[in-house]
Amino acid sequence: MAARRDEEKRAQDAKEEDASLPPETTEDLRPFPMNRHFRSQPVLSEQLREAIYNRVAKDGATVALASVEFGVSNERVGAVVRLKQLEKEWVAQGKTMALPYSKAVLNMLPQTPYIDPSLPENRGKRPIPHESINDLIVHPATRQQLFVPVAESRQFTRVDAGKAFQNDLLPADDRIPHPELVQAERELAAGLSHEERLRLAEKRFAAIQEKKKAEEAQIQAELASLKTVPKRRWDFVFQDVSVEHAGKDGRGLKGVGWRYGFPHEDRKKGQVKIPTKIEA
Amino acid sequence: MVVRIRLARFGKKHAPFYNIVVAHARTARNSLPLEVLGTYDPIPKPPRPGDTHGRPWKDIKLDISRARYWIGVGAQPSDTAWRLLSMVGILEPKYRIGKIQGEVIKANSAAKSMIPELKPTGETAKET
Repeated sequence: MAARRDEEKRAQDAKEEDASLPPETTEDLRPFPMNRHFRSQPVLSEQLREAIYNRVAKDGATVALASVEFGVSNERVGAVVRLKQLEKEWVAQGKTMALPYSKAVLNMLPQTPYIDPSLPENRGKRPIPHESINDLIVHPATRQQLFVPVAESRQFTRVDAGKAFQNDLLPADDRIPHPELVQAERELAAGLSHEERLRLAEKRFAAIQEKKKAEEAQIQAELASLKTVPKRRWDFVFQDVSVEHAGKDGRGLKGVGWRYGFPHEDRKKGQVKIPTKIEA
Repeated sequence: MVVRIRLARFGKKHAPFYNIVVAHARTARNSLPLEVLGTYDPIPKPPRPGDTHGRPWKDIKLDISRARYWIGVGAQPSDTAWRLLSMVGILEPKYRIGKIQGEVIKANSAAKSMIPELKPTGETAKET
């Protein structure tokens, strides 16, 4: 992986001609001489980020699919798409970008280049994976060591192992970022023909697309149900609710508005005030 | 006793948030109302993500049919409540600032149109 990255870098430098510096050595990737254990890690190149954004936003690929294709983790693909979208919005609004800064920082870091498959010289080349994408994230519930007595006559599967740690903990097979890759390998091992596997994969892909479309339609329907009154400085957005939801005592959880006779619990222990989710 | 549709201020310091309530006129502002019709968040929210040229917006939740009922049985909205209810077409707007401004502009232009009749005579006088 690293060797291919270096190779690409050398080829790129040779093409650009003006590269007066030789490619960086391992010593150069250690920016803090006193800290011998710190190595600069590669970041996504500008072209690769653009390609990821185009694949997800323009071609409509799922995040998981783009992650497999480019060898970039799910989270990073999501972040790239969000930030690229923000960048395009800013460009559309006429804001100036800090391009010299970004260029300077990127020049100081090793990068994962983009292998454009449409170019003739890249025929047959595979994309350079940025990181391992299918690592199992350690769940806090599994950090303890457990000794579970199991009868010899009983089958103890991974599902049971998950349940032994915590009742609602999924088995490791379902918690990995890309269970579909395992599924594909299983089908290959089962000796299915290429056409058969392609058909199954397409079926799975269609199911995901269907789900995505339904979610999108629901969001659109919710937005369409709002009544927007444009005024001079901002829009007033009215959402029709029902007073019935508050229930007989007016304290129903679905009821709208600040509740009466109920202390505000924002100073109570365990109240999370840092946003846990950002609308994207 | 008069029943009013008015706002009850909740929220924190510098973070106002209002319940749109139906209450007897002479009860305290934040006392238990007859009914909570909805909420009004006066702090404008930034445009939704993906909305490049979107405008900031204010979030209002309102049971429109119920508000219409209370108006029908004679509840009296406060000025602010009147403004909000008129936006969804429950009431006629009380203060038509735009319309009044339009009338002023129209009157101004009408007054100005009177002047040019005098102007040519002045210009001709200058020329001669």
